[in-house]
Amino acid sequence: MFEELSLHILDIAMNSLAAGARTVEVAVLESRRHDWLIVRVKDDGRGMDEATLQRVIRQPHTTKRSRKKPIGLGLALLRQTSEMCGGTFHIRSAPGKGTSVTASMRLANIDCPPVGNLTDTLVALSAHDTDVDVRLHYRTDTETFQFSSQEGRNHEPRRTKKTQRQDATASRTA
Amino acid sequence: MNLAELKKLKDKTQRQVALREGGKKYRVIVSMGTSGIAAGAREVMTTMLDEIEKRGIDDVEVAVTGEIGLTDAEPVIRIEETSGEKTTYAKVRPEDARQIVAEHLEKGVKVEKLAVGKPKDKE
Repeated sequence: MFEELSLHILDIAMNSLAAGARTVEVAVLESRRHDWLIVRVKDDGRGMDEATLQRVIRQPHTTKRSRKKPIGLGLALLRQTSEMCGGTFHIRSAPGKGTSVTASMRLANIDCPPVGNLTDTLVALSAHDTDVDVRLHYRTDTETFQFSSQEGRNHEPRRTKKTQRQDATASRTA
Repeated sequence: MNLAELKKLKDKTQRQVALREGGKKYRVIVSMGTSGIAAGAREVMTTMLDEIEKRGIDDVEVAVTGEIGLTDAEPVIRIEETSGEKTTYAKVRPEDARQIVAEHLEKGVKVEKLAVGKPKDKE
């Protein structure tokens, strides 16, 4: 069990990188008003077929063949955390179509972990391969934050009207 | 977690990406699988990045990898040199990470007490 949700996110997203993803999208929604903490890690990696998916959900799973004792606890740990906190856990995946893992938790639940240090998680994920775009979408009742590791890479973030608006809002609230 | 904290993220990744450009003398690989993360690999990595930056070392790139099979020795980091020399450090705590940066990456001296496996000349 990890003490921070951001560590779960790092763990799950490492699987995405291992699956050859070029884009990893992390979305965190933290709403006190609705009492939900929802996290989704979505990638465009190689995905899993139905049989693999069933195996992944049922038991500790790893893609490493050399290992005598499989570890593969990452998904099981997140599932345990979300179910313990009155939430749900879903995986959607298809070969060639990437994988999406969604876990929800009740914020008011005493076992609900804090979101923790998402910054360090994204820094670690961006270190895997600089060509992979690691994105974060973080939303609370009052704030929205978006990040893409490709922004840092190009030094010139792509400016859309939407991001300009968000930047303006962010600088006002900061 | 708040917005101000997240804003720092942009600078941090920018610096991180700068560390990944071109052929560097040292390549540091941090094992970031489930067991590594549970043992504190993320903190070890961010501490190293911090120390590398503080000392202004630019001949290093830092990367992550999945489970490497040394589950009970996590957090594990491996340092590869352009000469082909590889050193594996096990059970690295954040303060050890600082020492490794100071001695191995800056001065080129291995931290033998943290290294696993035999030194090459004794094999």
